[in-house]
Amino acid sequence: MKNLLLCWGGDWDLPSVHTDSLIVLAYAKFSGAKLAVKSIDWTWRTITASVPQLHYEASTVTEPTQILNFLRKQRFNADYELTAKQGADTMAYIALLEEKLRPALLHTFWVDADNYANLTRPWFTSHSPFPLNFFVPGRQASLALSRILLTKAESPLLNITEVEGKIYSEAKECLNLLSHRLGNFHFFFGDTPTSLDAFVFGHIAPLIKAPLPSGQLQKHLNQLDNLCQFCNTILKNYFNASAEKRTDCSPTAIHDPVDANLQKLTQLVNKESNLIEKMDDNLRSSPQHRPNSTPPS
Amino acid sequence: FILKAEAAIMVRAAEPWPEKATLYQPLKEDQILLSDSASSLAVQTFLRMCGLPVQVSCCANAEYMSPSGKVPFIHVGNQVVSELGPIVQFIKAKGHSLSDGLDDVQRAEMKAYMELVNNMLLTAELYIQWCDDYTATEISRPRYSSPYSWPLNHILAYQKQWEVRRKMNAIGWSGKNLEQVYEDVSQCCQALSQRLGTQPYFFNKQPTELDALVFGHLFTILTTQLTNDELAEKVKSYTNLLSFCHRIEQTYFKEHDRESQSGSSRHSKGSLP
Repeated sequence: MKNLLLCWGGDWDLPSVHTDSLIVLAYAKFSGAKLAVKSIDWTWRTITASVPQLHYEASTVTEPTQILNFLRKQRFNADYELTAKQGADTMAYIALLEEKLRPALLHTFWVDADNYANLTRPWFTSHSPFPLNFFVPGRQASLALSRILLTKAESPLLNITEVEGKIYSEAKECLNLLSHRLGNFHFFFGDTPTSLDAFVFGHIAPLIKAPLPSGQLQKHLNQLDNLCQFCNTILKNYFNASAEKRTDCSPTAIHDPVDANLQKLTQLVNKESNLIEKMDDNLRSSPQHRPNSTPPS
Repeated sequence: FILKAEAAIMVRAAEPWPEKATLYQPLKEDQILLSDSASSLAVQTFLRMCGLPVQVSCCANAEYMSPSGKVPFIHVGNQVVSELGPIVQFIKAKGHSLSDGLDDVQRAEMKAYMELVNNMLLTAELYIQWCDDYTATEISRPRYSSPYSWPLNHILAYQKQWEVRRKMNAIGWSGKNLEQVYEDVSQCCQALSQRLGTQPYFFNKQPTELDALVFGHLFTILTTQLTNDELAEKVKSYTNLLSFCHRIEQTYFKEHDRESQSGSSRHSKGSLP
């Protein structure tokens, strides 16, 4: 059975930096679909393909919603335990994400000058082949800008600065609403993840993990502990093995996942013991022996 | 600066609701289209649910008078507010709210369902009106430009069509065909129907802005004559949504029903079948 999923590559501890690709990857893990994942980095597909793209036997499907529908028809269904009302809720919350959160995400990564120049453009430039690296980021950025303006700005003025305040406040409200809805649960509908979890994960994971220079939305999201926990739980339980293999920015890239876990644990223990030693030193040392401070008179 | 603007609205909104509040929309008989009519009805329903009287005034240039370019908008005292979202906030600042009794999770659900209606139903209405060539040529362009003379009517109609098609392109709907759009409408109605269940309103006994929004769209779809009846048929297959519309029509529009029946346009078929 020949199946292949094309998507953008990963970084920052994520299997992919692209929201739509993340949604499909997460759903595939939740529903147990075994997909061969191929990243389009450094290929001509960065400009020719509409990503994510699923090749399954003879058919090709694009767009996360279509791909999820297709996978469900192939009996990879993460939603079969949901009631009819929960299915309706899923549709509603996905609409909420698309309308309220997506514009601000697009703005944070592609329109905000600081982030675009220092993070997004370098990343996509370095992951596209020559000479596409000159075109790919710019094209994505202009698509993002036009989408924001056409859906949120008041025609005919179409000025981005007027819209910025509105889209960020709507995004923050959306994140608060998601946080309220998630509460203390592991996933949005009980103990097993569903397609809604895939959608939320795809949207917030890049925001949590990317090292953004200017991220007011990121700061807001970091205050919502349950959403960060939700994201980390999914990464740990469903993506741990592949995250280890893919990562190129972690200092200890180990090939064997078991050793990698052990290594991480050892590092954590070492860190903890260092901290404890430091605290111990501080407590023991008397004030006049403290290096850079004047002794109290 | 967005906080200052909101604070300014709240300070000015503290005045009581005046007698002569007006709601502006395009001309009912000849000009208004399905999507604008739905939005306008949603706002009118919301105001009736709050018990706030408002006069409906039809102007050919309502779209251009609106501060955001979208209809309907209300003129209250010396404030002009457009679109359901900001109007709900404005009314809340005046002390009237339908959703105060909801807890945080319910409020999240309500907002999510309102976005579902906007994302699917409203976009589908716009698609059918402007991206389906047959409907655009037979209905939308003639109606939209009816108050104007040649060549302005052509220019405005095509400009509006171009704008809407650009937007559809940006959100990925331009690749859809009509069948897929009808299917999306059907799925949206199914979600609404399942959420409503057997309750009188979406959040139990009290109507909220979500009920107003859903009623506005569904009632308009059911009572508007398009090139074919397929859209209305999709909605009609959900009986609890039909009875929901009947109920709201009876409760909030009954006493004005006779006046509106006599003035009902050729475009609208009047009350529900």
